[in-house]
Amino acid sequence: MKQAEVLAKLQEVFDGIFLEKVAAKPELSAADVEEWDSLMQISLVIAVEQKFRVRFRVGEVEAARNLGEFADLIAKRMEP
Amino acid sequence: MPDRHVNDAELKSLAQSGEAALWGHLAARSRQATSFSELFFLSTLRKKAKRHTTESVQPSLRLALIGGYNLYPLHELVEHLLAIRGVECERFLGDYDNFVSEILDGSSPLYAFKPDLAFILPNAGRCRFSGSLLDAVEHQREAAVGAAEHLLNLAQTFIARSGAAVILANLALPGDLDLGSFRSRTLGADWSFRKAVNLELGLRAPAEVQICDLEFLSARRGITAAEDARAWYESKQLGSPDFLVDVAQELSHLIASRKQGPKKVLAIDLDHTLWGGVIAEDGVEGIELGDSSPRGEAFKAFQRYLLALSERGVLLAVCSKNDHARAVEVFEKHPEMVLRLEHIAAFKANWDPKSDNLQRIADELRVGLDSFVFADDNPAEIEIVRQFQPQVEGVLLGPDPAEFIGRLQAGRHFEPRNVTEEDLGRTAQYRQERRRTELAASVTDMPAYLASLEMRGTIKEFDSLDLPRIAQLIARSNQFNLTTVRRSETEIQGLLRRPDYSCFTMRLEDRFGDSGLISVVIAKIEGGVFVLDTWLMSCRVLKRQVEDEIMNEIFRLAEIAGCATVRGIYLPTAKNGIVAGIYEEFGFMRTEDSAARKEFELKVETYQMRSTKIRVTRRAYEAS
Repeated sequence: MKQAEVLAKLQEVFDGIFLEKVAAKPELSAADVEEWDSLMQISLVIAVEQKFRVRFRVGEVEAARNLGEFADLIAKRMEP
Repeated sequence: MPDRHVNDAELKSLAQSGEAALWGHLAARSRQATSFSELFFLSTLRKKAKRHTTESVQPSLRLALIGGYNLYPLHELVEHLLAIRGVECERFLGDYDNFVSEILDGSSPLYAFKPDLAFILPNAGRCRFSGSLLDAVEHQREAAVGAAEHLLNLAQTFIARSGAAVILANLALPGDLDLGSFRSRTLGADWSFRKAVNLELGLRAPAEVQICDLEFLSARRGITAAEDARAWYESKQLGSPDFLVDVAQELSHLIASRKQGPKKVLAIDLDHTLWGGVIAEDGVEGIELGDSSPRGEAFKAFQRYLLALSERGVLLAVCSKNDHARAVEVFEKHPEMVLRLEHIAAFKANWDPKSDNLQRIADELRVGLDSFVFADDNPAEIEIVRQFQPQVEGVLLGPDPAEFIGRLQAGRHFEPRNVTEEDLGRTAQYRQERRRTELAASVTDMPAYLASLEMRGTIKEFDSLDLPRIAQLIARSNQFNLTTVRRSETEIQGLLRRPDYSCFTMRLEDRFGDSGLISVVIAKIEGGVFVLDTWLMSCRVLKRQVEDEIMNEIFRLAEIAGCATVRGIYLPTAKNGIVAGIYEEFGFMRTEDSAARKEFELKVETYQMRSTKIRVTRRAYEAS
């Protein structure tokens, strides 16, 4: 799956869990969104793992610096 | 039972438009939430909506969370679940894995925070047996006892230094396959060692240390679903996000139920609730009950559960739209009935609205409707009771008797903080009460009736053995309670050693049986004044001259303490109207009179001891 496709699906996840509208763009990071605290981070990871049927390995999510890198990580974990 | 199910989108729009209906739905769904994602969503909504409302500022609970795990985000979940129960809290989070020194160092920020309550969450992974798997079992057991006592000593050190209460978590069990079946042949394996520690913790914990049973919670969810190694390595979490919800649900329930005791009465429907079918149509032979069919067996099991509740002190009442004679006939004649008339404290089967019958049951049992749970299979009846008796907690049992027990338990209305002797005898006491009432009806004058009861009273200073019952009465009494000051067991324990307090209890027995410990008085000696901080009494013994004997004792002790005056305080609540005039009945003069507080005084020298039909066999602060 390409980054753009992953971002489109991430937008659906965002719409489900953020109360405010947040656009899923590659350069976005947690610091840009007021709602995005560590509680939200846990929720987001749970939602993403369910939506994409992936399981991240220990430390991986933390290493992603923005949404683009996170999308790439998702795509990588989706590979068979 | 929660209101009709509201989906996420509806809830969001309620929150955005700032409608008050949001709060009920939010609370109902939050209490039932079992997943992190759902609880997080609800908590975010609450925070959003709160910005638009101005809430009244109530005194908040000072809650410290300390332990061997990262307490973030657990504390956020706890905060949310307490808020929807109306408990606001100020929080203190201990540093990760620093709780032992936080407790042992009297100058730590933990004590500076001045907590009312601390939740201690020890790290399960660090609680291991250090010897060999093959060490003698006795040696391994001693190590488990040592580990349990270490934790209990920490809890008690904290209580002694802070005066705060403690909820101590035990240890979740590990899901490792590693040792195979050998794990149960030793106490040295993590699996069996932690089980042993947990057992010792529970059995050895003093009354003032409440256990939060993580072993149970993780088993209930499933150990593999509760564990989360990644979350441990990444952020030192206790378990999976969903398991944090289990712990937060349990903790907030334990905290909220410290101030609001369990319910006292369970009012139940009959048809489709205690048995299958309709007695008025199907007759005693036609109803479904007993081991001959799966449904019949489920109804019988439900009755057995209700009987167990009643044996634990919950009063059962029948509240049914039914023909009285036919309904009674089932209890008397059906061979498969587990519940018999003797188990039912009040029986209302008629064609009046159930909300009216609930009121009658409350009057008969002298228990407030806010201590009632009403269970019915019919949603319409639950709804009507909700509208007309909103204080009564409704439980919808639904269409499947196999689910009744689970649905009733899900409300968590009858969980005891402690089981006391009084609980175990309660239904018997109400039966005795009925016999007293019958006697009263046959005797024409009150003094003759009271004399015929052959009452014996025992008055005693506070005793640590009575502590659970004293705490229970302080937590539960609403009607005959002059000041409704609630005190935790720790606070009551603290009174035992105070020379400036006089505290006593009274027990009452008569020819029909033992009513147990039924009254509590706490007086503070302030100079020459004997100030009645707390006086409460079980309503079961109203009009039996117990008040007179209590007042006699108050003045006797006031005199011994060298006080010239006794001062009574009355703090009005919605429920304690029956005692509004009691001090004046005893000749006290009103000295302060505001809406929220009334005070009364009487000189010790002018009080006339009252004579009663109660033979008092022991008095407070006397050798027995």
